Amino acid sequence: MRGVFPEVVFTVMNVPVRDTVISTWFTMLLILTMVFVVRRRWRGALGILVSWLLENVSAIMGERADPYVSLLGTLAVFIGVANAIGAVPIVVSPTHDINTTVALALIVFFSVHYLGVKQKGLLGYLKGLATPLFTLPLELIGQLSRTLSLALRLFGNVLSTEMVVAVIFSLLPLIVPVPLIAFGIFTGVLQAYIFTVLAAVYIAAAVAGNEPVKTKKKRG
Amino acid sequence: MDSGTLVTVVTIVASAAAITLGTIIPALMEGRAVSKALEGMTRQPEVADRLRATLFISMAILESTAIYVLLICLILLFANPLLGRFFQ
Repeated sequence: MRGVFPEVVFTVMNVPVRDTVISTWFTMLLILTMVFVVRRRWRGALGILVSWLLENVSAIMGERADPYVSLLGTLAVFIGVANAIGAVPIVVSPTHDINTTVALALIVFFSVHYLGVKQKGLLGYLKGLATPLFTLPLELIGQLSRTLSLALRLFGNVLSTEMVVAVIFSLLPLIVPVPLIAFGIFTGVLQAYIFTVLAAVYIAAAVAGNEPVKTKKKRG
Repeated sequence: MDSGTLVTVVTIVASAAAITLGTIIPALMEGRAVSKALEGMTRQPEVADRLRATLFISMAILESTAIYVLLICLILLFANPLLGRFFQ
C-alpha cells in the first residue's frame, strides 16, 4: 500500500528527488509524445482540442480570451494527464504531492496579478483592488485563501481518491477496485476542468473593469 | 494511562468525529445544490449549459470544505504535531 507522503528516491547534490518529481517528468514526456504522435497521424485532432478549449474559456471570460488560452490550456492538459496516470499501477500521480499543487496554484496567483497589472497599469490595478476602500483587507485575504484552496482542493481530491482505492484494494484486490479507479480518472479530469475554470474566473476578475465578474459571465 | 496514549486516543476519536460531521453537512448541501440546478434545467432547458458550468464550480467550492476536513484528519493521524512531545 502506497504511503500518504511521497518517498525520496535519490538525492542530487543534497536536493531530494521524490517519486512524484519522476512521475512529473514522465507526465511531461507522455504529453510531448502524445502531441507528436497525434500531430503525425491525425492532423485535425489538436485543432479540435484547442478550439474546444477556446470555446469553453471564452464562454467564461467573454470575448477577450485569446491571450489567456495558452496558459489555461496548459494547466488543463497537464493536470488532466497528471491525475489520470495515477490509475497506472506503479506510477504515482504528480498531484499526489502537495508541492506540485502549490506550485500550480502559485503560477495562477502570480499570472493573475501580472495580467491584471499588464492590462490596467499598476495604479489602475491597485485602485481596482481597493475600489470601496473598506473591502481592501477582505480582498487581500480572499486573494490568499483562494490560492490556498486551489492547491488544497486538487491535492485533497487526488489523495482521497487514491486512498479509497488503496483501502478497497487491501480488502478485495480482484475486480472490486476497477470501478473506483475509473471513477478516480473521472474525478481527476473533472478537477482539471474545475482548476482551469477557476483560474479563468480569477484572471477575468483581475483583467475586467470595476464591474463585478457576474456581468462578464452572463455575456458569454 | 500515560499522557501519550491519552493524546493518541483523543486524536483518533476526534478525527473520526470530524470526518463524520464534516462530510455529512457538505453532502447534504451539495444535494440541495444539485436538486435546485436540476429543477432549473428542467424548467428552462435553454440555459442548461450555463447552469451546468456554474453547478460544477459551486460543487467544487462546496466540496473543498469536506476536503479541508479530510486534510485536517490526515494531519492529525499521520503527522500529528502534538505527539512529538511524548514520543521522542
